[in-house]
Amino acid sequence: MRALAVFKREYLQVVRKKSFLILTVLAPFLMAGLIVVPALASLKGLGAKRVALVDGTGALAADVESEREHETALPGSSGDGSGPGRRRRAQAASALAIEYVAPGREVEITLRETVARLQTAAGTGAAHFDGVFYVPAGALENPGVKLTYYTRASVDFITQERMNRIVNRALVRRRLENRGVSAAEIERLLQSAVTEGVQVSPSGSKRGRGDLEFLGAFVFVLLLLLPMIIYGQEIMRGVVAEKSDRVVEILISSMSALELLSGKVLGLAAAGLTQVGIWMAMAAGAVGVAGGLGSLGGIGIDPLRYISARTVAFFFIFYVLGYLIYACLYAAAGAVSNSEKEAQQMLAPLILVLMVPWILAMPILQSPESRFAVALSLVPVFTPITMFLRVLASEPPLWQIALSVALSVGTIYILFALTAKIFRVGILIYGKRPTIPEIWRWLKAA
Amino acid sequence: MREVSTVLEVARVSKSFGANHAVDDVSFAVERGRICGLLGRNGAGKTTTLRMINGIFLPDRGAITLFGSSRHRDSRDRVGYLPEERGLYRKMRVLEQLLFFAEIKRRRAAEAASQARMWLERLELWPLRDRKLEELSRGNQQKVQLIAALLHEPELLVLDGPMSGFDPVNVVLVRRILQELAAAGRAILLSTHQMAEAEKLVDEIVLIHAGKVVLAGEIEAVRSSFGQNTLHVGFSGDGAAVHAAPGVERATVHGHAAELRLAAGADPQETLAFLLPRLRLTRFEVAAPSLEEIFIDQVGAETLAAEAAS
Repeated sequence: MRALAVFKREYLQVVRKKSFLILTVLAPFLMAGLIVVPALASLKGLGAKRVALVDGTGALAADVESEREHETALPGSSGDGSGPGRRRRAQAASALAIEYVAPGREVEITLRETVARLQTAAGTGAAHFDGVFYVPAGALENPGVKLTYYTRASVDFITQERMNRIVNRALVRRRLENRGVSAAEIERLLQSAVTEGVQVSPSGSKRGRGDLEFLGAFVFVLLLLLPMIIYGQEIMRGVVAEKSDRVVEILISSMSALELLSGKVLGLAAAGLTQVGIWMAMAAGAVGVAGGLGSLGGIGIDPLRYISARTVAFFFIFYVLGYLIYACLYAAAGAVSNSEKEAQQMLAPLILVLMVPWILAMPILQSPESRFAVALSLVPVFTPITMFLRVLASEPPLWQIALSVALSVGTIYILFALTAKIFRVGILIYGKRPTIPEIWRWLKAA
Repeated sequence: MREVSTVLEVARVSKSFGANHAVDDVSFAVERGRICGLLGRNGAGKTTTLRMINGIFLPDRGAITLFGSSRHRDSRDRVGYLPEERGLYRKMRVLEQLLFFAEIKRRRAAEAASQARMWLERLELWPLRDRKLEELSRGNQQKVQLIAALLHEPELLVLDGPMSGFDPVNVVLVRRILQELAAAGRAILLSTHQMAEAEKLVDEIVLIHAGKVVLAGEIEAVRSSFGQNTLHVGFSGDGAAVHAAPGVERATVHGHAAELRLAAGADPQETLAFLLPRLRLTRFEVAAPSLEEIFIDQVGAETLAAEAAS
């Protein structure tokens, strides 16, 4: 009942804040912005590249241009049955302009002049380009020919790769034409097949849209992680404030440290869940509206795949487990510190640990059944996020899920008991920052 | 043997922080309907003692018995505590905050609400009930703190410096409230270093110095045990003359009043004769020393002598 009073206070105190409302409303837009803006920027040519093509063969101009158009075409605009793979590449690709440079009388000289322009024209202007792609004179006859890409940027391998692909297809096209293959035949020969990913799991197989799966998983993990950090910090701040305002003297003389701790931690967990719940409802609403308008259905997104009952259920399980583990650590750090700054410093390593599964999210999603992923998902502090990632990416054996949950519950039980003790003693120590041996003594004494 | 009316018993309690013996073998008791003043200088061990009574610190040795039980948690709902420094949420609204503190003492919401209204009105805070605490003046915050301590109608009130931050009118207001509560059978233990205030309020004192009890008992008994050896003098003009008066062991001058401790066997008449031509007297009284004088005598003489010598 006392814990309930604390629970209510903590919950209301967070939920009624203006910042809670603002964050709740704005965060989805921010998140969407973070994903959409870079995609738009690259589509709209923020990363546009201009490459001069010095063509020693003198015969590639038309084919290169048509290959470039083909490569950067937006979905549907090239009616040649390009699959999702091709479409995706097109979406990710930035605009690419190829300035054709005829070989002139002596191609070596033309090349030298063009590269010199690249060297000197460091600024912008009409003559500006990012690289020079060189095709030697014998390229059509000599299959072992070496193409060269001159560039100022040392890491522009993406443009190099794209130019290489475009020029190679143009070369093959020209070679076939020189052997008398008809244009229609060439088109058929050059048609590449499309690979579709299919995920196989004990509960059957389903067609994958790898990119969207990834995106969905990242959004979910972000939803898992953000409240842990936001409300973990909130607990820490609250504890430090109660300590410096000495409210804690009244609290601790009225209830046990465990009652106080559980009221606080659960109150803020509920606030976090409220927020995530609102976000999910907003997302579902947005997807529903968009789906109704047919705009998402058109590119094959089925929203229900990402907000399935199974996903939501696991989300709540791992949210609660993960949150409770980190909340304890945050509360303990707050209890032994005298200021927010001090607590933050103490927490820096903890936040780094918290980020480990997040940093490893990509490899874990790619190989959720690897020995590494399985091991990591059974290490208590990492369990919630890692196991949730694995659940999103595949269907881990039930015993592993059960074991990870059991380990987490055990960890939480121990952490709660320890934190309550640290809390009880640390919260009343003012002034001096405790040393690790001191904390150890409290743990034994309390 | 404990009397039925004993609410709090502190028995040979000690507490050290490292090498610092904050509280050293302290014993006293507080009974129903009585106001007990825990007096002492800053750092004497008052706050540590009160924190131990509230279960915040555990004593190293000795026992604290509340309502017949030595387990603090058995009786924590029956105790109200006003900490030395502000112990309230700065960002929380006044009324809401009070109801929260009543709730953690397991007070029913409806009862707490009507009590809160009564107290807020009485202490002239009702119009401020929806303000955040930090928007209130220091004195008003202290009033809220006091209400938080007594809202759940505790049988024992433990007040660490209840009068700090109050103007004279509020001091009178709060003194009346505390006296009423005592008359209604509550036990009150308060700490202070304002002796004049304690003198008007408390029934008995426990004076501690460097963690030890140096003087304890009913206030009148304590005062008269020092005998009728003090001159209470009021005057206009320069008070420097009182220091040279014959038969005076120590003089404490506060503006236009002075308290003169007579040496053993000194005659007050001689002192009066000395002062008459030198000062325009408005008061001359032979009485027991004030609590402040006793306080200085017991715990402050060395410091003051050292300061005067330097």
